[in-house]
Amino acid sequence: MGTFWRGVLKGAVGPRDNDSRYLLDVHRRDLPGEATMRRYADDDEVDLVVVGAGAGGSVLAQRLARKGWRVVILEAGPFWHPDEDWVSDEAGSHALYWTQERVIGGDDPIQLGKNNSGRGVGGSMVHYAGYTPRFHPSDFSTFTDDGVGADWPLGYHDLLPHYEQVELELPVAGQDWPWGHPHRYPFSPHPVTGAALRLTEGAHRCGIDMRVGPVGIVNGTFGNRPHCIYRGYCLQGCKVNAKASPYVTHLPDALEHGVEVRANCMALRVEVDDATGAARGVVYVSNDDETAATSSDDAANPRRRGTERLQRAKVVAVAGYSIETPRLLLASTSRRHPHGLGNNTDQVGRYVMVQGATQSAGRWPDELRMYKAPPPEISSEQFYETDPDRGFARGFSIQTVSPMPIGWAEHVLADGHWGRALREYMRDYNHWATIGVLNELLPHPENRITLADETDPYGQPVARMDYTLTDNDKANMAYSSTVITKILEAAEAQDILTIQRFAHLIGGARMGSDPDESVVDADHRIWNVPNVVLADGSVCPTQGSANPALTIMALASRLAERMAHA
Amino acid sequence: MSRRPDIAGGEHLPKLRPGQEPPPPSWLPRQRRGTTPQMIGRYPDYDVFDAIDTWDEATKKAVLARLEPPGPLRFFTAEEEPTLRAFCDVATAQDDEPRVPVAEMVDAKMADAKLDGYRYADMPRDPETWRRVLAGLDHTARTAYRVPFAQATEEQRENIVREFAAGRLVGGPWDDLNVTRAWSVVMRGVLSEFYSHPWSWNEIGFGGPAYPRGFLRLGGPGREGPAVREPFERPGAVDVDPVRKDA
Repeated sequence: MGTFWRGVLKGAVGPRDNDSRYLLDVHRRDLPGEATMRRYADDDEVDLVVVGAGAGGSVLAQRLARKGWRVVILEAGPFWHPDEDWVSDEAGSHALYWTQERVIGGDDPIQLGKNNSGRGVGGSMVHYAGYTPRFHPSDFSTFTDDGVGADWPLGYHDLLPHYEQVELELPVAGQDWPWGHPHRYPFSPHPVTGAALRLTEGAHRCGIDMRVGPVGIVNGTFGNRPHCIYRGYCLQGCKVNAKASPYVTHLPDALEHGVEVRANCMALRVEVDDATGAARGVVYVSNDDETAATSSDDAANPRRRGTERLQRAKVVAVAGYSIETPRLLLASTSRRHPHGLGNNTDQVGRYVMVQGATQSAGRWPDELRMYKAPPPEISSEQFYETDPDRGFARGFSIQTVSPMPIGWAEHVLADGHWGRALREYMRDYNHWATIGVLNELLPHPENRITLADETDPYGQPVARMDYTLTDNDKANMAYSSTVITKILEAAEAQDILTIQRFAHLIGGARMGSDPDESVVDADHRIWNVPNVVLADGSVCPTQGSANPALTIMALASRLAERMAHA
Repeated sequence: MSRRPDIAGGEHLPKLRPGQEPPPPSWLPRQRRGTTPQMIGRYPDYDVFDAIDTWDEATKKAVLARLEPPGPLRFFTAEEEPTLRAFCDVATAQDDEPRVPVAEMVDAKMADAKLDGYRYADMPRDPETWRRVLAGLDHTARTAYRVPFAQATEEQRENIVREFAAGRLVGGPWDDLNVTRAWSVVMRGVLSEFYSHPWSWNEIGFGGPAYPRGFLRLGGPGREGPAVREPFERPGAVDVDPVRKDA
């Protein structure tokens, strides 16, 4: 469907080949398919075993199940029952995040946990804000065009049909999009809050165009998914089923087509047959097994390793995201891959990226109450591409956000306030509105995931992430901070508080056209391994300044098409 | 009572004041409904629990659990306890009852090892960082003022914490810590507990849990009247009792 018809038929067209929206229960949030989910035995060689039930793994499983593949997904975290497990509360949402130990190093260590890491069925999209912008065509050739980053072995137009399909499935709501490859969205933009209108006014006075959206949040009704209720707790898991995550957009349909989602199962390594070089399946530990073993005979030793099991499969897809995917590959050593699966040219774990995500808040005389409505409201990609006048390569996007009290306290603290001054700024919470940036930070080989010396309760080495900013990154971050400060000043903010932070993860096992400089080929297949693919954001060679969720889903959708036709 | 600052004009905001000093909190109205830390706040007639009937059961359970009387410390030792309490008080400016029991809340988090999912390569795990910080605060107080941190005056404690926030503390336990990162670790712990407590929501006028009710009135510049405020919201107020106006 062309973008013209999308505009005309706005809100009236659903996706084909995905019935997830009708398979949800109107009155309960649990997945109706869980109780009747198909189960496979470990020694039953399934067509595909996927590690990770997040944005990439869920889309891949749903697509291939539709083609008749027998699929098992292993997920380290729990199978959510949102009515009981999720709460309208910041601190109470701790279980949504990957809080198992990780080590952070480098000159600019990146905070993980709630900031960017998910765990459980649905992955980190369960607690992402909801922004779903596309990458720009320029993202796929930054090396050729700007001499930085890397070129992808595929282009924007390879992903375009999948972007359009996934946008229908989420479904994405937003104004007509003028940046990158101009396009329209299947649903109309959401209403915005007074706080966001303030920021829009300021941006317009600075000559910066801002648009509403794009967000993967239902505006209207969509099958059995209701309209958003504007309660503002997108980052705490949507109890409404209005915000898109694979839990509501792809897994219902996947379960309907015979996919098993085996939760609480931590993958330990991809088992490779040294004779053939092909993977035989994935070795994992089920928490349910481990709890039983620990409580009966070895309660004194919580570090006891659980019973290892091997799920056999014809094809293995790793979709654990930018930290856990490299960690699993590095731990999967064999005779043919002594330094980790796919790591014979020392590429696994390298070029991991985050985005600069500085946020500035402005203060106004009236009460704005920014906690209402989804935090993602309006955004701009006017500064996305390289502008030689700015003195650095590539760019950034601008997006509104709205921290809840704990997030607001971190913001105030970062501006240098504690004790009485902090309490004073906290009491003023309702008068503030927040705007942030996403800087495209460039891929660098020394920004990487490695295995640390310490091990987790499964006996598996924990991941270490090193990150150091380049001069280009620093120049980009400094420039973008002045832009959002100008927006706040133009909107006549009385006071400004700023926090420098980072967001999102991507890369770490990038695709390319040369095995010496990449981990997978354009079809996501690990070089020289016939049946292991990576189906998550770790394959991205560059990241643009777009939030990664939509692109990860679109890549998995394209990958499924390639695998089905292979 | 000190003069009431002009709220709309932002006279109370530390960065707009000489020396970035916040005004003494004595101008703030006493809480008339519900509870706030030290019974001060900007929304004296607002109590987040007025809406508890509209909360879902899971959220209600999680939030109400924070009002349970805090138990004895499980992670921190009896020797560490006074320093812990004194630091939490200074960090959150809690100088009187009722207090949000931040010390107990941090203690529970450390005892249950409910950590945040990352550890700086040059730092110990968060529980050990806490122990070293408390030892360091005592060390600095003894060195500078010849008393333990908990027995120092409020001004002395604030001086020490100011140096801590600036990453300038040295000597004794501090030499085994990256002080700037230690500040970030302990303050992350303190603030995430303090602002998870519903009393602090009353103080700042935060709407609190909102499922399944949601919000309808999103406000906006130039929008006046009933469209701006939900029926259950209370506007910010000054210290005027609507009944005893002359008091």
